Amino acid sequence: MIALQFILSGMLAAATPFLLAALGELVSERTGVLNLGVEGVMALGAAIAFIIVYHGGGHVLAFAGAGLAGLLLSLLFAFATLGLQANQVAAGLAIGILGQGLSALFGKTYESLTVKGLPKLAIPGLSDLPVFGGLFVQDSVVWLSLAATLAIWATFAFTKTGLLLRAVGENPKAAHSIGYPVNAIRVAAVAFGGLMSGFAGAYAATVYTPLWADGMIAGRGWIALALVVFGTWLTARIFLGACLFGAVSLAGLAAQAGGVELPSQLLASLPYLVTIIVLGVISSNRRLLKLNGVASLGEPFKP
Amino acid sequence: MTRGITRRNLIKSAALAGVATTVGSRFAFAAEPLGIALVVPSPIGDVGWGHALKAALDPVKAAYGDAVKITVLENIAEGPDADRIMNKTVADGNKFLIAGSFGYQNGAMQIARRNPDVSVLHASGYMVAPNFSPFAARYYQGTYLMGMAAAALSKTGKLGSVSAFAIPELITSINAFTLGAQAVNPAIEVSVVWVNSWFDPAKEQEAAKALIAQGCDVIFSNAQDTPSVISLCEEAGVYAFNLNSSMKSYAPKTYLGCVATDWSPYFKAQVDAHLTGKFKGASAFLGVADKVVQTVDWNPAIPAETMKKISDIEAKIAAGSFSPFTGPITKADGSQGVAAGATMDDAAIVAMDWHVKGVTSPLPK
Repeated sequence: MIALQFILSGMLAAATPFLLAALGELVSERTGVLNLGVEGVMALGAAIAFIIVYHGGGHVLAFAGAGLAGLLLSLLFAFATLGLQANQVAAGLAIGILGQGLSALFGKTYESLTVKGLPKLAIPGLSDLPVFGGLFVQDSVVWLSLAATLAIWATFAFTKTGLLLRAVGENPKAAHSIGYPVNAIRVAAVAFGGLMSGFAGAYAATVYTPLWADGMIAGRGWIALALVVFGTWLTARIFLGACLFGAVSLAGLAAQAGGVELPSQLLASLPYLVTIIVLGVISSNRRLLKLNGVASLGEPFKP
Repeated sequence: MTRGITRRNLIKSAALAGVATTVGSRFAFAAEPLGIALVVPSPIGDVGWGHALKAALDPVKAAYGDAVKITVLENIAEGPDADRIMNKTVADGNKFLIAGSFGYQNGAMQIARRNPDVSVLHASGYMVAPNFSPFAARYYQGTYLMGMAAAALSKTGKLGSVSAFAIPELITSINAFTLGAQAVNPAIEVSVVWVNSWFDPAKEQEAAKALIAQGCDVIFSNAQDTPSVISLCEEAGVYAFNLNSSMKSYAPKTYLGCVATDWSPYFKAQVDAHLTGKFKGASAFLGVADKVVQTVDWNPAIPAETMKKISDIEAKIAAGSFSPFTGPITKADGSQGVAAGATMDDAAIVAMDWHVKGVTSPLPK
């Protein structure tokens, strides 16, 4: 019961870095651009945000700065892939390495310093529920991330903008032929992805683990990328995947702390296994998979 | 980018070394300084393992001044990259190499074999050669003392440890911590969470939270280089301690203390030996008696009576009349670990792969 409470109260916060980065990547990939630089963009955002909070700039400014840094780095990626038609995989990896390098450079003098995180906000009434109460005591960024998830889902489901983004990814030629600026839309989507990855990094370094250490993103950007694919480019499934991943990793730690007789290596690999299996099963319908996939993913478009 | 800068420094130092040799050949009497290179796997901050090694070179520099030239290469991932970088530093004229991670063992050993004039110190390994010495700390002597303090302060009788990997060095620390706690309160229990990573601050904090949720009220941050666990425990209001260098500034209220390591006496002695041509490869397992392991920054909340007991035991450890691993010790599975009256020897301590009774978490195989 203690373990369950622990998992429920920590799950959403654990999922937030993945969720923010994956949502950004989702929008980018929906328009057909595969940006593998998420890990590096997150690292850069984390370093910038940490530095701002450390010098007393506050979290709002920190997230703004991290988002802007992520956006600029992603624009560099957009310039290479959409402007110069460079290979998206290679350019994404390069941007990722650049981001990690920049984060190490900027963060050098801040190595292993700490800052204060954000206070938790409770939803009155719900937070007093037995067992589930902890689920409703979260910091403001978690609440905003949930709102962002809802907004992105609604955008894709109900709006013309969502349809347009999908059209550009599905059939850029068709979108171009009816007069839409395909590459401009893609640039905007990539920039949005960078912004969100920057936010994800900021959350990791100033709220979830409020300290700076070079390499602290520790592969979370790659997990976010995987979530987009395993979530078959659907907002709800990505949200589910992120929560599942967060919950199962916390469950593994809680099981160890509680003395459960399972090898810790197995517990450590469970989040990956469970997430892949669950998302694999719910998206096993091949016809739907083809329907949800992005047809022009990774392909350059020359008008 | 760190690595890029490191590389640039390397090129710079190579260029300088070039200049030095030219000058040297012109003025044959100009003595060349001894190049000492330290290689560590993580970025060096104000605390942690890398910091402890780097800080230990300061007294060496102070003692020799311009007669030594120290190069620190940080954030060097274990593996082929480390081999390449270590080879480069030796090719650049560094004759004293400190390989600051277990994973550098094979690469550093090759360097030692190929360059008999280079002396190599290697952290926590087991291989020895005439010019290659492994060194390790008897952390367990300090964690035993921390266990005594932890048991005195714990209200729940449950202690926790966030640990990196289940290797003998870490297992030994946890066992001694448990035995020290049981010396004060025989009913104490210790939970361990293995994060299976040397470096993942977010996961380390999640692990600490999980332990605190289970009721653990003193946390042992076992082999974390960042204050992730320590700062979280301050916020959660539970006591915590760590190894290598003091993190008191991150937890002014709930910092239990630190099992610090000071490698400077050892490094200084080895540099002396190298300079006088007397360097001899030998395994160094150093502890309280060598003044390498020290306990510092004890929390004032520890009762004076316990503190007295702790310093008595510490004096006995230093004098060699007490070992935490003196029987009877029962293993976690109930079988006999150490017979009554017997004391584990160093060979058994460095190979320990079982938990003592009282550690409730299973040991990964």
